[in-house]
Amino acid sequence: MEPVIRVSKLINHFGAQRVHDGLDLEVLHGEVLGIVGGSGTGKSVLLRSILGLHKPQSGEIEVLGQRIGRKHTGLEKQWGVLFQNGALLSALTVCQNVELPIALHSNMSAAIRRELAELKIQMAGLQPDTYDKYPAELSGGMRKRAALARALALEPKILFLDEPTAGLDPIAATEFDELTAYLHSSLDLTIVMITHDLDTLFTVCDRVAVLVDGKAVVGPLQEVRESSHPWIHRYFSDPRAHRIEHMERNRGRTH
Amino acid sequence: MAWYSLTVRHSGRTPLQSSRNAWSGAADGVHVSPYFEYQRESDTLIISLKDDWTFGNAKELDDALRTVQGNGARQITFQCGGLQKIDLAGAWVLFRKSQEFEAEGRDTQFLGFKAAHFKFLQNITDIRDSAVAVQSAEPVVLTEPGRLNQILEAVGRTATAGIEDVGRIAHAILSGITHPSRLALDETIRQIEHTGARAVPIVMLIAFFMGIILAYQGANQLAEFGAEILVADLVTVSMLREMGVLLAGIMAAGRSGSAFAASIGVMKLNEEIDALRVMGLNPNHVLIAPRVVALVISLPLLAVLGMMAGMVGGLTVSVLALDISAVQYVERTVASASIQDFLVGLVKAPVFALLIAGVGTLRGIQVSGSAEQLGRLTTTAVVQAVFLVILADAIFTVVFSRLGI
Repeated sequence: MEPVIRVSKLINHFGAQRVHDGLDLEVLHGEVLGIVGGSGTGKSVLLRSILGLHKPQSGEIEVLGQRIGRKHTGLEKQWGVLFQNGALLSALTVCQNVELPIALHSNMSAAIRRELAELKIQMAGLQPDTYDKYPAELSGGMRKRAALARALALEPKILFLDEPTAGLDPIAATEFDELTAYLHSSLDLTIVMITHDLDTLFTVCDRVAVLVDGKAVVGPLQEVRESSHPWIHRYFSDPRAHRIEHMERNRGRTH
Repeated sequence: MAWYSLTVRHSGRTPLQSSRNAWSGAADGVHVSPYFEYQRESDTLIISLKDDWTFGNAKELDDALRTVQGNGARQITFQCGGLQKIDLAGAWVLFRKSQEFEAEGRDTQFLGFKAAHFKFLQNITDIRDSAVAVQSAEPVVLTEPGRLNQILEAVGRTATAGIEDVGRIAHAILSGITHPSRLALDETIRQIEHTGARAVPIVMLIAFFMGIILAYQGANQLAEFGAEILVADLVTVSMLREMGVLLAGIMAAGRSGSAFAASIGVMKLNEEIDALRVMGLNPNHVLIAPRVVALVISLPLLAVLGMMAGMVGGLTVSVLALDISAVQYVERTVASASIQDFLVGLVKAPVFALLIAGVGTLRGIQVSGSAEQLGRLTTTAVVQAVFLVILADAIFTVVFSRLGI
């Protein structure tokens, strides 16, 4: 199967610090890929490079067969991005935020646009009373859900999540994981997420990409955690990882 | 492939009651449109869907469905076996129509959904039912105290980076003006309100006071020559040539220069600029150019109002304190005011506006990383804008006097 995202020989450095040193990564159609790595290993830079927000020093990135460069037209209709703190436009209400991409990329009537936006907001798990609120009036978790609704507004093929559960309490984080899994199973989505949350990694992700030494170690979770690389070994042998895995086994979930 | 049929009963949320009654077309004929066919069989209206029901053609689907009317049919059947693709947007348009039929008291039925398609329609019904259940607990944010403050301030920009940014602003303005859009237009109008309309009272007030100051100071000097009446000339000429536009410019630098830097800086910190980019919007077109254009439009208008308010200030002092009658003052004003002086003043306004808006948006864009930097760059924007306005005014004055204008 054709990968939906292909990153090859990516090199990014800031001054003397080499963040990516010939990084290769392929994201397959329909999978949920979790990107993990210590701080400073360039998770965000990788995401920003894929989205065309950061120009890498060298290397090639293709998304849905299109090369990311100065002009990658039409991709914005096929991907949705949930930024870490939502990045909702503060001058617009929740509903207007979700309507914005719809208005930009279609000519549907205002009534349908509004209804479709409301539908996506409901899908993201928010109540109707949030439609006309401004982002500043929402809690962090609600803002993330509203931003998720915006990311889903155009029926994207690929959904990017930047630390979706960061800053949420454990209950809200679990709910968000369930929402992600639900969306993945009910919409035809490929999901790429940066996460620090082992819980998310174990429950939602099909494969993981661990960024170490400027490269990515990619594979199913079970495979990657067997890696002998010291950082990967330490990351997955953390007591918390064992605890979560144990819980997962008891819950009888297969991932 | 599994096949499903389901009957959807709605609780008539918003009855989109239709009073249309003409059954257009032959009673039992087949009506064809690109996305569906429909025909009447006794009291059942059968709508057979085909092709793609997706986001991309939602508008066409809706327009086409609008032409379909129940007209007497008791039962509406949506025959979905012929669908190629359907997504949430397409399903919504369909669901909406079925709701409309339900509100008119007809039964609607969906037949022949393929498993994959069925999922989407089920999604909609699911969501409408479970909206309350999903949102069970109010998410609480664990804030990371002082995280922003801990981030070290970014290394100061080098001179070359500064020049690059000036080039970026120039490019932003030019490309923004050449790529007008509905969104950019809305933002421009909003900014004209913020930078122009809302600044009117304060600009007129300070210009009025400046008129009072000029008249008093002038009168003291002119009284020595017994030429107090020339106060009117003094106020008029200085207001038209210098003070009106300068006061408006300084006020705009304080109000709008800082607002531009702060608003764009916050959007940068909040990743809103990145969000715009990934949605296919160019921040240059929708944020920077509208602000620059708005100020270029509103500053000349503010300058004209300032000139007038200043002259009224002079009149007030003359009448109340200098024994000059209003008629005399107005006569002198009319005699001394010239179109040339007015234009000399007015021509500076767009230049001031470009400087203020340029430096404001530039400092906003330079914000990266920390809230402290945002505050610092906002201050920088105001200081530099005021400095540039006065510097430019000095250059104008020298050039105009050399040219003898």
